[in-house]
Order: sequence, then C-alpha cells, then structure tokens
Amino acid sequence: MITKSFQIADGVKLHYIETDKFKTNYFSFNFVAPLSRENAHFNAMIPLILMRACEKYPSQAEINKRLQFLYSGDIAARNDAFGEYQIFGFKANMLNDRYTQGTDVTGEMVDLLCEMVFKPYLKDGAFDKEFTKGEKLNLIDTIEAEVNNKGQYAVKRLKSEMCKDEVFGVSKMGEVEDVKKITEKSLYDAYKNALQNDIIEIYFVGKADIESVALAFKKRFEGVERTPKAVQPVEIKMSADNVKEVVDTEKVNQGKLVLGFRLGYHYSENQYHLIQLFNEVYGGSPTAKLFLNVREKMSLCYYCRSLINQRSGIMLVSSGIESKNKDIARDAILEQLEMIKRGEITEEEFESAKKSIRNGYLAIYDGAEAMETWVFFRGICGIYTTPIIESEKIENATIDDVKAVANKITLDTVYFLKGEDEK
Amino acid sequence: MSNIVLKENEMLGEKHYSFTHKSGLEVFVFPKKMTTSYAIFATRYGAVDNKFKHVTDKEYTIVPDGIAHFLEHKMFECEDGVDAFERYAKTGANANAFTGNNLTGYIFSCTENFYESLEILLDFVTHPYFTEKTVQKEQGIIGQEIKMYEDHPSVRMHRELMKALYKKNKMRIDIAGTVESIAEITAEVLYKCYNIFYNLRNMTLCVVGDVDISQIEAVCDKVLVEAEPFTIVRDTEDEDEPKEAYLKKTVCQLDVSKPLFTIGIKDMDIPKEAKERTKKAYATEILDEILFSQSSEFYNDLYSQNLIAQDLSSGCEIGKNYSFNVISSESSDPDKVYSLFLDYVEKMKKEGLDKEAFELSKRTVYASNIKSFDSVEDIGNNFIFNYFDGADILDTPDIINSITLEYVEKLFNDTFKEEYYAMSVVEPLNK
Repeated sequence: MITKSFQIADGVKLHYIETDKFKTNYFSFNFVAPLSRENAHFNAMIPLILMRACEKYPSQAEINKRLQFLYSGDIAARNDAFGEYQIFGFKANMLNDRYTQGTDVTGEMVDLLCEMVFKPYLKDGAFDKEFTKGEKLNLIDTIEAEVNNKGQYAVKRLKSEMCKDEVFGVSKMGEVEDVKKITEKSLYDAYKNALQNDIIEIYFVGKADIESVALAFKKRFEGVERTPKAVQPVEIKMSADNVKEVVDTEKVNQGKLVLGFRLGYHYSENQYHLIQLFNEVYGGSPTAKLFLNVREKMSLCYYCRSLINQRSGIMLVSSGIESKNKDIARDAILEQLEMIKRGEITEEEFESAKKSIRNGYLAIYDGAEAMETWVFFRGICGIYTTPIIESEKIENATIDDVKAVANKITLDTVYFLKGEDEK
Repeated sequence: MSNIVLKENEMLGEKHYSFTHKSGLEVFVFPKKMTTSYAIFATRYGAVDNKFKHVTDKEYTIVPDGIAHFLEHKMFECEDGVDAFERYAKTGANANAFTGNNLTGYIFSCTENFYESLEILLDFVTHPYFTEKTVQKEQGIIGQEIKMYEDHPSVRMHRELMKALYKKNKMRIDIAGTVESIAEITAEVLYKCYNIFYNLRNMTLCVVGDVDISQIEAVCDKVLVEAEPFTIVRDTEDEDEPKEAYLKKTVCQLDVSKPLFTIGIKDMDIPKEAKERTKKAYATEILDEILFSQSSEFYNDLYSQNLIAQDLSSGCEIGKNYSFNVISSESSDPDKVYSLFLDYVEKMKKEGLDKEAFELSKRTVYASNIKSFDSVEDIGNNFIFNYFDGADILDTPDIINSITLEYVEKLFNDTFKEEYYAMSVVEPLNK
C-alpha cells in the first residue's frame, strides 16, 4: 500500500500512501516506545502538553484559532497500546486544498504540528507549570472516567488481573498515582528522551507534494540528536495454567461478564487471518455462535462478543447480563468454544465468516486511518502484507484451520462486575 | 425505466440521481468511487409516533412506548426461520439497523455482491413475521439493552434533559421504551404498526457507492409491490408545548468518577420551511463554535479555574416539532459553571459577537460539513435524516455560506434566554 518511503533522520521514516479518493488528507506523527509502567503515564502526557501551547502559539486559544483558520484542521493526541508497544503522538486531518480557496492547508498543518513537536512552550528549561498541572488533571479525569463506561471498564479490569505479571496488563494511560507525581521538569525530560531515543514513524495518506512534506520534516530534525533504540519483543504466555476468578461488586443495573483466554499463537507466525476467521465464527458478528446462541436462542443479553488482542496473544469475550445469569452465560460461552474445538462448524457458517472477513479487509481501502493502521502496526512487527493478499489467503483457509486455532485456546481468567443488590 | 432526476453540487463534487419506483418508493443514488457501497432503507416512523389514525378514523390509536424500536429488532426475523443476518452472511455484507425519534433505518455496507444484498434488504423489510413466542424472546434481549443504557451516563443525562426541557413534547419518550412499556407489546400490535408505517410511500431508499442505477431499479422491480396510498395522521398535541423549559434542573446519581452536566436551550420558534431549519441549525453550530470552542473566552476561563478539563461539546437538533441546543462537559462544580454561563451570555450580548471569531467559526462549520462527504455511511445517513425533514444535503454548503453575522447575532439574542435553559446533571453516588 505504501507508495513511497523517506528516511527523515536516524530512526525516523515518512511513509506515503497516495490516494485521491478523499476530500481530506491525513497524517500522523508517532513515537514507538516500549509499553511500561515506568513510562506509560509520561507517554500519555507528552502529546497533551505539546498540544496545549507552543512557542509560536502560546495558548490553547491561539492554537485553536490557527486550526479554525486552516479550515477546521484537526490535530488529535494518539495513544495506543499494541502488545509490548506504546504508540503515541498525533493524528491530523485536514481538507484537501481543492476546497480551501488557495490556502495550502496541508503544508500549514505540517508546519503547525512541527511547531508543537519541536518548539514547545517552555519556561526555565521545562514545560510551563500551570499547563502541566492542567494537563495532569485532564489525564487523571480521563483515567478516572473509565469507570463511567462499565463495559470497557470490565474489560480493563480483566486485563489488569489476567496480565498482572505481563506488560500487557499495563494501562496505556498510566496510573493516577504516577500521573500525580509528574512535574514540569520530569515531563520535559521524558519528552526530550522520546525525541532522542524512540523510533519515530510518520505516515501521510492522501494527495500532496510529498517531497516538500519530507523536506519540511527533514529540516526540523536537523540539530536533533538521535540515538534510536528499537523496542525489544517480549515473550507471550502461550497457555493458561489454571482459571482465575475475580468478582467486583458495584452499584450497577447490569452485570458485566468478561472471559479472558490465551490464544496460544504468536503474532510473528503471521497466521492472523486464521485467528480472525476463528473469531468471526465464534463471536465477531451477528451470525457468530455467541450472538446466535447466547443472545438469540437463550435471550440472556443484548451483546455477547469476542475480541482479539493479536499482538498480546489474548482473546476476550464480553457480555452484559442479569447478575443471576452469570453461570448460565459463562457455561454457554464456553460450550460454543468447545463446539468449534470439536469442529462443529457448518459449511454455511464457515463460508459466511470468510465473506464477512473479506468484506472487512476490502473496506480498509475506504478509510485513511484504517489504511495507516493496517500498514503501520504490522510494519513495526516486520510484517508486510495488504488487505487484498490477506483476503486471498482467507479464500484458501479450511474448517480444520479454524478448529486448530480453537484447540490452542485456553481459558485464563473470568471477571465479573456484579450489581450490589443481586446475588 | 422510471424518470430519473439528476441534482449536482459542482463545488462539492457530489451529485445524486433519484426516481420514484412504480411501487411508490422514492430512491436516491449517490455515485461514489469507493470500495464500499452503502444502502439505507428507512421509514418515517420513530419513537415519537405512539398516537396516530387513518384520515377517516375518528379515534386515535395509542401504542406502547418503545414499539418502533421493538419492531426494528423483530424485522430481522423471517418466516422461514432464517434471520436477515444469516441471509446477509451469504453475501458478506455488514448489516444493522437503528431507531431514532422520527425514523427507523435498515442499513448495510459491502464491498461485493451489492445487488444480492440490496435484494435481501428490500425483501426482509417488506416481509414481517412475528409470533407471541418471538416477541417474548425479544422482551428479554431489549430488557438488557434498556438496562445497559440505564448505566450509561451520557445517555441518561440526555434523556433526563429532554424530560426537563419538555412538558408534553414527545421528545420525552425514551427510544427503547421501558421494561414495563415493552411488556405490553404483542405480535398483533406490531403488525398493526408495521402495516401502517412500513408503507413504501412513507419510505425512502438511499444508495451510496460505485453502483448502477438501472440494476437498482431491477432489484426494486423484482421485490417491491405497489403500495396503498399513505393516509396516516399523526397526533400533534405536542405542538402546543410552552416556550419555557419545564424544569430548571434535574439530577440523577450513577457510578461516575466526576459530575457530568449538560445545559439545554429550548427553542420553540421553529421555522416552517425546511431550508430555514437547516440554516438555523448551522447558524446555531457557528454560534456555539464562537461561544464555546477552545478559542472562546468562556472555555479558557473554565479551564484556567480548573472547572473543566475536557472540551465543552455542543450541538443542536432541529425537527418539525422541536429544537434544542446543548452544551456539555464534566465538572467538579456544575452549578458554578451554570452561573458563569449566565454571566458570560449577558456579557457577550452587551459586547456583541466578534467579526473575526464569526468568520473563523463559519469556516470551521463549512469545512466539517465537507469532510462528512468522505464516508459513504455518513452521506447515506445524513441524506436520510435531512430528507425526512424536507432538506437535501447537497444544498448544505450553500446554506452555510449564506449565513451572516447579523443572522447569528439575532439568533443569539433570541434563543439564549434564561427561561429557555434547563440543566441535567449526573453526579457520583452517595453525594
């Protein structure tokens, strides 16, 4: 999918995905760092503090005015966890110059982002004290607000319990107690460290004079000392030992059940299409076994779905149920997995899963961000493929392949968030 | 072949073809060179339509709240026991449906087998099948959906706001109904609502993608049967809603980390003309951008006093019988925010709106609108929502361009009045 790549500086690349399909251009500026409890909160904060103010636009109001001037140009903070990686930085999208009455919006947006990244607003050799304080509160609020969405909160709780001793259990937002300790100085050091030592990947999707975009970034990196360090891959747990049970009690109307499994699969095997095919049959769609049985046949829930964390080798199944139905739901979820392990998949189920996956793959070409994420996340793991290649691989998969995927899966942890007044 | 009408907006680079199929169904097609094609088949029937009659009837029929949404769920079940999702599974399409206040939409997107999927869509939505047993089963599923939303802070907050703003308007009705109201639903009443509102003359099909219009018509020919005239009168007793907000403040407690608030501004001065409603909606967006964006004095004041950490989000909705504007965020002290809001509005009214802020805000709203044409789903959904209100999204950029500072200032002075405000707050438990 990549049309062209540029070496911008040591450990810094720009990748261009050229397309004239959209009315907008998209680019992202990404630090690729190891996910760790020591740094996650700093990495989450760095984009926030850099977007708060820069030398040229020393307040949020001025930055926002500039963005409004650039036709509702949008710069958002990025913070993704992908296995042992924490990928943080910025995502920007802007109108194509066709609609901006002669303003070179794309060039100006690249320039604005560079102002934020390379010329932050500093006081006495550190970030501004008040801005740091404000953004700390902002991040703490966001972390604490995770409890507001019970479904997501339950998933996060499961992960932190299941992966207590693994890096995958680390929250990409950091912990509140760690955020509280951040100072304008320690944050500035973390920023300088990221700019010097993290691998940096820049993606551009759309249509632009890419040579001049590359040149603009190159100029900014002149004089930046670079000693990039690649992220070390970590071991993943291939199977569960014994099943852990965790229950939290809170005042909620609906109980949330989350089951965590080990896939027994390593990402570098490049068999992800088979895992996805399995997931589609099991709980990834409205024709999946979980939906048809736990929801439609048993009427236990509104949602019951499975989700793969590919890089961590983990699968999660989550559902919202009446607390009293916990055991019935759990048994039903496990029984559907057993059926796949026994190879009880109809030809119809299998064909429709294949079609649905293929549809999802091809739809990636309709979204700038979807294309970027596809190439980028695989790329950092050294996997180079396209949705078209993968959908051809799907065509050759068999029911036995799916059965084999299922037979490697083991249940690790059962998490239940239950209502206070219920038994 | 039906008579095909072309409408185009050259600046935008978008167009649609339309025709009325002999069955009575209106069809719109946006050609779009994307991998994905999208279809939405929608009926002008939503949560507010709980009281209606035929023109010739004397009495209105009243049905339980939540029935349009219930019907949407049940439409996926087909008489031969194969549900619609299973049929789509054969084409690979990604299907869903949603119910709003004024409409129900059935949608799918796909990268292959478009016409086969379209046939499934038109077929299952025109062939209802309900039994008491399947209705009962759905009561369990929807009961869980309702409970899920009861725990959802922003959904709850919005619902409570509607109940505070309106005294009798049907915007008070929860789309999914309540566990009690859906318990009253039977197969018989589902058929009754279906037969009335799923009349092709009350429905529209919109397709967006790299598709062929004559093949779409051929699918319509194959599946659709000519519809009876549509002669339904909807109860409009909610039209004499008072201008003022019904309650000033409403509070509910949930397990949240910090209070959430939304300030609603009720506006009962609703233009009769759809174009005027569109103009007013976008002018309100521009006004909100001037007053509450990150460039605004108000946002920066609240932020520097640590009263808010996140953005102030704003938005407005205008329909034929309702209109409101909301400003929301999280704050440790919503009452303080509210009192600062009152002061700020008074101050801004005295000073007048800034010309530069207006120009920048207008540019922002204009650009966001153009960006929405990058997605086949957004085009289809926005088209249907606008079209059911009498407007056309191809006109929107020109309408936005026609908005002046004077218009926005008048809107500001007319709508931002204390008697129109209500605040809904979700606060943490045990406060």
